[in-house]
Amino acid sequence: MAFATSLSSGFGIWDPVLWIIAIIIGLVIAWLLWRSGVSAYKKGTDQARPYLSGNPEPSKGDVHIRAGNLYWGFTEGIKGYYQRVIPLHTGIATDYLLWIFWVAGILLIIVMVV
Amino acid sequence: MIGNLPMILVGAVLIAVFSIIIGLLLMGFDRIVAARMQARIGPPLTQPFTDIRKLLAKENVVPENAIPWLFNLAPVLALASAITILLYLPIAGFAPVLSGGGDLILVMYLLTIPALALVAGGFASGSPYATVGAQREMVTMIAYEFPLAIVIIAIAWKLAAAGIALPFTLASIQANPVWSLVGPLGVIGLLILLIVLLIVTPAELSRVPFDTPEAETELAGGILVEYSGKNLALFSLTQGVKTVAMASLVVALFFPYSLAAILGIAGIPAAVTDILFFIVLITIVAFLSVSLVRVSMARFRINQVISVYWIYLAIAGLAGLLLVMTDQIVGVI
Repeated sequence: MAFATSLSSGFGIWDPVLWIIAIIIGLVIAWLLWRSGVSAYKKGTDQARPYLSGNPEPSKGDVHIRAGNLYWGFTEGIKGYYQRVIPLHTGIATDYLLWIFWVAGILLIIVMVV
Repeated sequence: MIGNLPMILVGAVLIAVFSIIIGLLLMGFDRIVAARMQARIGPPLTQPFTDIRKLLAKENVVPENAIPWLFNLAPVLALASAITILLYLPIAGFAPVLSGGGDLILVMYLLTIPALALVAGGFASGSPYATVGAQREMVTMIAYEFPLAIVIIAIAWKLAAAGIALPFTLASIQANPVWSLVGPLGVIGLLILLIVLLIVTPAELSRVPFDTPEAETELAGGILVEYSGKNLALFSLTQGVKTVAMASLVVALFFPYSLAAILGIAGIPAAVTDILFFIVLITIVAFLSVSLVRVSMARFRINQVISVYWIYLAIAGLAGLLLVMTDQIVGVI
């Protein structure tokens, strides 16, 4: 039983070995289905060119998504929050230390009261 | 547990077959009811089976810009991980195949693997449309995780407050339906949490109004634009299995009831009754969270998806959690 609850927190459990066994079984089932399909296609023809609605393919650099673009929807969606938080990042170490002391102090009060 | 390996193997195969068949039937049902709501006749119920058979017989084109091994691995990994999720969930009143092997926190993380496989496949396609789709899928995934976590934590908190051991395990939730543990305030809180989970479901399944990663009319299929043949077939099967997984999660959290036990039936008729009852429940969940929503709404922009999940649904979820907590405190007083 110790094997089955190899990571037990008292609130929940998970067994990484069982998960590995399960995902291997899943991979075999999925691979068998994948294998039953046709693999062939016409290599080196227009068929293998990327689909761009008939437009010419731009250079790789023009369509590359940079790390800064990756979370665009995220930063745009909660723009109001970022507009307030970004100016707080002054780049001055003492400002950051002050933030740590403030937050630690508030947390201490909450923990003491609760 | 390792001695149960043959049982796990048999259980996994049965769950895989069950989830693929029911998943495809749910997709067929969705297409029919969506068509009827739009005053169309729609395809037959078995159309998704025909589609999969057709895709398996089609050429499997690997684009010249793609990373072939990752491009081909992504659909296999997506289907495998979707099947694995179901091994941790109770199905039709039966205990999970991997009961004791994982809890709700694990299920929450496992739900991200098919989406990550889709993202990896999108980036590996080497197509601008697919890359934008993959980027959107990542952002969507981060968005819906927050309200999903609130729902799961609220239910586990209630079980822990009621003195139930291992509150995050599905066996505990199955044995102690959460509705029976709360008062009137808690019932309102749980209803809010149920609605939040029903709205998380279409995003998990990339369906309208949260289908921004695919967005056919805008990105020509986005993340899946370069996929064809058997790779696309496997992604379609993943969609079906994930529909069953999400509906099963909703049923496991909020409706872990056995109709056979209520009616006092035993033996094989009990198993048949519970299987049919389970299929009816997941069909209702799929109808409410997928078909009804996708017919009545238009697609959100990706920044709107974030606002919906991180602001409106997070506030709704926290309100639900607060009501469940207040109900507990009032009950104790």
